[in-house]
Amino acid sequence: MSTIMEWIDKRLPVTELIKSQATEYPTPKNLNYWWNFGSLALTVLIIMIATGLFLAMHYKPDAALAFKSVEHIMRDVNFGWLLRYMHANGATFFFIFVYIHILRGMYYGSYRAPREILWWIGVVIFFMLMGTAFMGYVLPWGQMSYWGAAVITNLMSAIPVVGNDLVIWIWGGFSVADPTLNRFFVLHFLLPLLVFGVVFVHLWALHAVHSNNPVGIDAHDDKDNLPFHPYYTIKDLYGVGVFLIFYCYFVFFAPNAFLEADNYIPANPMQTPAHIVPEWYFLPFYAILRSIDFLGSFSKLAGVIAMVFSIAILFILPFLDRSPVRSFRYRPLSKQLFWIFVANAFVLGWVGYNPPDASLFSGAIPLILIGRTSTAIYFGYFVILWLVTALDIEKPRPVPKCL
Amino acid sequence: MRLIKTFFAVCVAAAMVPVALHASSGAPVLPEQSWSHTGIFGSYDKHAAKRGAQVAVEVCMGCHSISLIKFDQLRALGLSEVEVKKLAEVQGRSKNDRMTSAMDETAAKDSFGVIPPDLSLITKARKGYEDYTYALLTGYPSEAEMELVKKVMAKGAISEQDALEVQSALLINAHDKEQMKAKLERLVGGANFNKYFPGNFLAMPAPISAGSVQYADGTDNSLKQLSRDVVTFLAWAAEPTMEERKSLGFWVMGYLFVLTILLYAIKRRIWAKVH
Repeated sequence: MSTIMEWIDKRLPVTELIKSQATEYPTPKNLNYWWNFGSLALTVLIIMIATGLFLAMHYKPDAALAFKSVEHIMRDVNFGWLLRYMHANGATFFFIFVYIHILRGMYYGSYRAPREILWWIGVVIFFMLMGTAFMGYVLPWGQMSYWGAAVITNLMSAIPVVGNDLVIWIWGGFSVADPTLNRFFVLHFLLPLLVFGVVFVHLWALHAVHSNNPVGIDAHDDKDNLPFHPYYTIKDLYGVGVFLIFYCYFVFFAPNAFLEADNYIPANPMQTPAHIVPEWYFLPFYAILRSIDFLGSFSKLAGVIAMVFSIAILFILPFLDRSPVRSFRYRPLSKQLFWIFVANAFVLGWVGYNPPDASLFSGAIPLILIGRTSTAIYFGYFVILWLVTALDIEKPRPVPKCL
Repeated sequence: MRLIKTFFAVCVAAAMVPVALHASSGAPVLPEQSWSHTGIFGSYDKHAAKRGAQVAVEVCMGCHSISLIKFDQLRALGLSEVEVKKLAEVQGRSKNDRMTSAMDETAAKDSFGVIPPDLSLITKARKGYEDYTYALLTGYPSEAEMELVKKVMAKGAISEQDALEVQSALLINAHDKEQMKAKLERLVGGANFNKYFPGNFLAMPAPISAGSVQYADGTDNSLKQLSRDVVTFLAWAAEPTMEERKSLGFWVMGYLFVLTILLYAIKRRIWAKVH
């Protein structure tokens, strides 16, 4: 065995790579459980690609056949129901993990120097995931698939000059129809493989600068670090076990909890559902889109820009935060801002879920006002974080010298 | 910090709990039914589903198809081959055919203005699921309720007392008397009214009533019983693999609990040297 490995290592240093990048890869010893969510997201990505591959063997990307082929998978394919429910609920867990992963980075300052490129690649992955999830939701070709696709692709028409032509180009016709479904299937198949590739660039960037940690200072020597194996392999595996328990509860006992009833009605271009809602993980951004309704004919374009910018703003976050301290653990003001930001994201999600003409307390507070306020708070986080740190308003507490 | 935490808790709670919103639609609350097949231990009531198959074929399939199920699959509910063949013949089909209605779609569109929806997934495709389908089947005005409506409409103006009575019988909002009157006029005029259908008026006339179907085993054939049976059948038709899913789920969950406990024990053991 060892002679075979020696032969290989001389030509391709596999052992060296595994040692330096996996088993002996130095990892800060004080990482808490919030650091589990990167490996959990990767686990879900693998589950999604594996189940998706087998679903694609039975699915038909044809407007006349798609809906029925999904039910064919549910009823006739051996364990097809398991594949489909794992895939559908996997999307939910994917976004839960990615959101926690991003928020963990925001709380502990993982976006700060020297990890900006690592952070940017993460934001790129997030954009790709959103595109993948959106197109995947269209594939069952139910009412919500169809009308969700219609509403979201229509947003492109807000782009000046080329908007309308762009929408027709994306649709492959004059409405969401068979060509749209077919190309969304192709892209939904392609994108996760690209995501998988970009995840490795993300890991490459991580291994170049190493993990941040809850204290937010650089780990200096062997005293601060542990070899990744066995310490973090077992911790990550334990995390995967806990995840699988929650995940399988939904897959086996409540598989439709996150799905809309309307999506079990076949797509009907002649009949608009009473209330079109996107999947839960897009709701906060959908709320931001709808909250910009006070700019007359520019509202649509402004809403789209606000929605895209609400995520793209993460690109400049490393430059907005000017604090000398990375971790919010030692930054009382930033910490409060952070929790307001998180709570506000839930409010935005709730606003996005409800019809735009709804109101609280018998019409006393129109929902649109709550949506606008929450949108302001969302962007306000970034502005105030910048002001508080750039003007040195925040006085950080003393930071430990070692982990 | 405490203030922030309180704010956080309130926001999260608000997002989780469906706060009563004043939206444009005010659909009545569906009466909650208890079904043997819901919940994590639930399995289909095969006897009810078998009876329900008869109701579906003899009544519903006059107009609706249940095309994702083949007649022969009904044997999973305990029907014999002979019984399956007999049921298939009701719609002029043979046992290997899909459960499609004998009525063709153009004829249906001519009679009702819409193509009756396929019922294969109906219990999964409406908010409220089985409870909604059951509420719809039992939600047409009874004779006594029709008498009340006629009595109220004969007076001309709707009094406060009448409005409340109509509200409790037909679940129409008593505050908006204009709208109530308009609805009652349509109802008296012969339009199809249902207490639980969003907007109340629908293309489907009351599909079943007590005695619509005679059960061979003499089971009670009241409207409620027929509705329960057919909804149980439709729930099965919507997801025949449900029982397989749940029973596999128990093994998977059991395995995962043991695995995760072991992983945690190993994690503790390995990390003991560090802490």
